[in-house]
This record gives sequence, C-alpha cells and structure tokens, in this order.
Amino acid sequence: MQVAQARNNGKQMKRSAIADSAKCSAEYLSGLLSKVALEQSRAAFSELFSYFAPRLLAYGTRQFGNEAIASDLVQETMTNVWHKAHLFKADKGSPTTWIFTIARNIRFDFLRKNKHRMNDLSADDLWPILAETNESFDDDVSLDQTVLLQEIQSYYAQLPDNQRIVIEKIYLEGKSQQEVSDALEIPLGTVKSRTRLALQKLKEMIVSHD
Amino acid sequence: MIKFHPNDQLIEKYAAGSLCTATSVAVATHVDMCSRCQQQVKDAEEIMARRVLQDIRTPRSANLEAMFEQIIESRPPKELKQEQVDPFISLEGKKFRLPSTLARQKHRIGHWSWVPGKMMKAHVDIGEQETLDLIYMAENSKVPEHTHRGQEITLVLNGVFNDEKNEYRDGDFVLLDKKHTHTPETQHEDCLTLASLDAPLYFTSGIARLLNPFSNLFFK
Ligand SMILES: [Zn+2]
Repeated sequence: MQVAQARNNGKQMKRSAIADSAKCSAEYLSGLLSKVALEQSRAAFSELFSYFAPRLLAYGTRQFGNEAIASDLVQETMTNVWHKAHLFKADKGSPTTWIFTIARNIRFDFLRKNKHRMNDLSADDLWPILAETNESFDDDVSLDQTVLLQEIQSYYAQLPDNQRIVIEKIYLEGKSQQEVSDALEIPLGTVKSRTRLALQKLKEMIVSHD
Repeated sequence: MIKFHPNDQLIEKYAAGSLCTATSVAVATHVDMCSRCQQQVKDAEEIMARRVLQDIRTPRSANLEAMFEQIIESRPPKELKQEQVDPFISLEGKKFRLPSTLARQKHRIGHWSWVPGKMMKAHVDIGEQETLDLIYMAENSKVPEHTHRGQEITLVLNGVFNDEKNEYRDGDFVLLDKKHTHTPETQHEDCLTLASLDAPLYFTSGIARLLNPFSNLFFK
C-alpha cells in the first residue's frame, strides 16, 4: 500500500510528509471519492483506505475500548465508502466529515445492536446520509421548457460521452437508472454519479447562460 | 422565530451520536425545524470529524490489508431508499404537518388516547426502553403540577403552550430536569408537542453487554 512505500526510503521522508499533507486536503480526498464513484478505481480506494482505516481504528478503539469491535467498525464504514461513494456530495461537506458521519452512524447502531428487536430506530432513520435520493432538474432549478429545448442540445454536446449517453437514456429514452445500468453493463452507483455530474454540469451551463 | 434551542452540549452530543435514542429524535426534529441549529450541527460534525480522525492506530491483530481485499470483493450493502411519506397527521379534525424526521417515523406512532387534562397522547415506538410521546393539548388544557424524574424534553411541533415562566411556540425546544417544577397549559390555542424522557443506554446483545457497566461513559 501507498503508506508502506513512502516509508522505504529515509531520504524521501521529508518530501513524503509534504505529499501527505497535500494528500489529506479535502479536494484531493474528494477527487479520490469521485474516482471510486465513477470508475470503481481500486487505486483511489486504496489511498482512501490507507488514509482513513487507521484513523477510524483509533476512533473505534477509543469508543469501544476493544480493537475487535473497532475493526468491525472500520470494515463496515469503509465498505460503505467503497460501494456508496456516489452519495458523497462535495458541496455539502468535506470527505472527512462524510466518512466520520458514516462511522458515527455505525457506532450508534453497534451500541444498540439487538437481534431480538428488529424494529429499533436506527441511525439511518435519524441521519439518512446513505439513502439514495432521486435527483432531477425540478428539485432546485425551474426552467423555461422552450428555452431549454432549444439550448440544451448544444449543452449536451459539451458533456463527456459517458455522461451524455447516460443522460440521453434516462431523459430521452425514459429508462430507469437500473435499466441504464443493465443496458450499459455498468454498476448502478456509476449511473447515479454520472447522472448527478451531468445534471450538475448542465445546470451550471444553463445558469451561466441565463 | 424559535426562541429556545438545544444547548451547545446537546448539539455536540447529537452530532457525535452519543445521545439516547429518544433525545436524538427530539433534537433531530428540532433541527428539521431550525436553520440555525442545522448550521450548528454541520459545524459540530465538521470539527468533530477533524478531531476524532486525527490520530492513527496501527492495528495489533487485525490485518488491514486483508480487510481491504475483503471490502473490494464485498457485495454492496442493501440500498436505502428515501421514501416519500405523507407528512400529515389528523387529530380532532385538524391536520398537522410532521417535520421530516418524524414523518419518516410515522409508522412508529401508536394510537391516540385521551389523558386527564384535555390532552391526547400517542406513543412513538422507537424500540428502546425509552419514552417518546406525541402529546396534544387542546385549548384551555392544563397539566397538573409535577416534577421530572429524569431529564425531560418538550418540543413544540405546532401551536403554543406556556408555563409559569415562558411561552413556547413552533420549534421551541424546552429542556427540564429534576430541579424544575412546572405547570404547562394552553390558553386559546391548541398545541402539538413531542416529549422525550431521558434514560441511560442499555446494551443488550452479545459482546456489547460488556459495555453496560460503563454506559455512563457513552452518555457523557
Ligand atoms: Zn435551534
């Protein structure tokens, strides 16, 4: 893993310390999360894991006084990061905060885990940070339909191909995200993050041309 | 304008996930209604995230590399759907809109029954041995003077009630502990509130039971 490589050479220590501080910037970590969301990048996840797993382990061990439970917490948290990176929204907060709140939720449930009572209120009920949301234009942008139809084609052309194809299938062909995922043989999470990115870009283009 | 908010300590414990379930729901519901506290919770989460994820621990036994491989190979956790719930409840011919946290938990709201003092009550089943109730006070109703065993929170969802000291309106978050004696009442308006009674956490399963003797540590 990355961290281990950096330790190999004593001379590189100073340089890697600087690199490390750049590596924990919110922007850098956000970039890794979006690589995980869009491409299931193992390398990006490996960096996230090297950075966060030992920190989550320290947090969990402090909380539970028990490294075995703490490592369950790390595993469950990072499993969500791997599969649900598309739910991270950089405009809502930093990656560190997002990952902390996932761990916080898991800890909340760990403390109440009881197989006899499936009805217990869970952390997801209080903080639904990992719930899928249905995003669409009408959520926060109201658009003049005719202007949209005229201009949108030129905006479409500016989208990266992989995003444009997803958007066309959903909004022109009326396919569900699951159907697009099946048709293109890409994970559902990827469809969702491409949709979100594309809508975001389109929104920006439309707003700036207003 | 909301006049009464959870104090900083409560906000911080809420963000840390360290409050008991009933209190967490009460704070979350206030936060739904209060943009000031939404910001406070956001800030608290950010500060806490930076603080608690500062230290690094190298595992003694657990092998992180093996964990990494397991995660890569793992199946996606089940998808959580944010369901659209009708946020309204009807009571005495009136409609009340529930804030989103409570609306999502609407299925947990039990039957309404009359209690002395022109009030109605419905239990919110959060699964713990904790008390969380919706309480409806009709116009001109009065709760007999009482003290509290533990810490009690009353959150006004809609309407207005008062005690000897203050008047409480939509979104106001009122915390009372053992020290307080009070006589809540309504005048010309009715009032729907959410009330929680504080209780320490009790861990019931497997290895977590070992934590029971220390439950006050989690409750700080
Ligand atoms: Zn507030």
